[in-house]
Amino acid sequence: MRVLIVHSHPDSDSYNASLRRTAEEALVRGGHEVRVIDLYAEGFQPTLTREGWRAYEDETRNADGIEDHVAALRWAEGLIFVYPTWWYGLPAMLKGWLDRVWTPGVAFTLPKDGPIAPALTHIRKLGVVTTCGASWWLTQVVGAPGRNLILRGCGFLMAPRCRKVYLAHYRMDASTPQSREKFRARVARAMARF
Amino acid sequence: MRVLVLYAHPVETSFAAALHAAVLEGLRAAGREVDDCDLYAEGFDPVLSRAERLAYHAPDADRSAVAPWIARLEAAEALVVVSPVWNFGYPAILKGFFDRVFLPGVTFAIEDGVVVPGRVRLRRIAAVHTYGGPRWAAFMAADPPRRFARRILRRLFRPGRAVRYLALYDMNRATQGARAAFLARVKAEMKAL
Repeated sequence: MRVLIVHSHPDSDSYNASLRRTAEEALVRGGHEVRVIDLYAEGFQPTLTREGWRAYEDETRNADGIEDHVAALRWAEGLIFVYPTWWYGLPAMLKGWLDRVWTPGVAFTLPKDGPIAPALTHIRKLGVVTTCGASWWLTQVVGAPGRNLILRGCGFLMAPRCRKVYLAHYRMDASTPQSREKFRARVARAMARF
Repeated sequence: MRVLVLYAHPVETSFAAALHAAVLEGLRAAGREVDDCDLYAEGFDPVLSRAERLAYHAPDADRSAVAPWIARLEAAEALVVVSPVWNFGYPAILKGFFDRVFLPGVTFAIEDGVVVPGRVRLRRIAAVHTYGGPRWAAFMAADPPRRFARRILRRLFRPGRAVRYLALYDMNRATQGARAAFLARVKAEMKAL
């Protein structure tokens, strides 16, 4: 399967960045063709600008300047996000990638007389690998906005029977070398089965 | 009551800009002191940097890059967020405000592993949002911005009243009448904040 990994963490020495490498290695070992977008490393500009907003619904212009990102998204049959959960959600960098790249004609279409229609139906598998400061319990209490945004919101735009996998290490501030290695093994197993 | 208005939309002729104007008008009509923070106009950079991440929990961290926004947040007694909802969530520029300015010591502190209030004290919180899609689509994704305002901001600041969440869904097909009614509602709500 062609798998796109989208990663967003400012520190390449971080545990989160190492999970990205773990995921990538396990997928390659599993025989998948893998592409990685490392948003911080490439200095992605996440703010949808005035010009970007004006071109948003124009399918001939809304990919200007981000052609590689659109091509990678169209190429993918599997999509994996690896990021830290900040304020129960996506880092602004990653949210901006959705704002700018997931546009009409790419991620969905907006028929004049009907509701939004999915356009990423070539994506059959969706995965999230994330690290959270909060506990699992507190995350449920506040409604897991980050998880829902990706699995339900983004997932809605994919193939109807898209498989989903969500892997989170909670309470990172109380994590130990053991808990981190255990989670890394879990990520490696899930990616090996991808 | 001093109100910080956090506004995020890149285009001044948008409906979000009209909502922003209605918010300011309503608040000022009620005699509120308003600090209008237009994130796009101020060129806010939403990207939490490597240095900021590494020093995130350090009490002596250099926060000069975001110091003006921290000061404005700390001076506020109420917060009104105004933005569109894009792909089920906040525009990146607004999410980045939470990432970079809602810092330890500012909006919360951790004492003995427990989250306690920080220096920011908000008595009123309101959110004004527009959604391109219908309510069912947002509901299906568990409406992340609604959860953020209603649960996370409420838990964080425990304002004296419930968080006011004002949303106009299905913007892509909204009639002039629906938009005008929503503008009037937002203005009235701001007068009564």
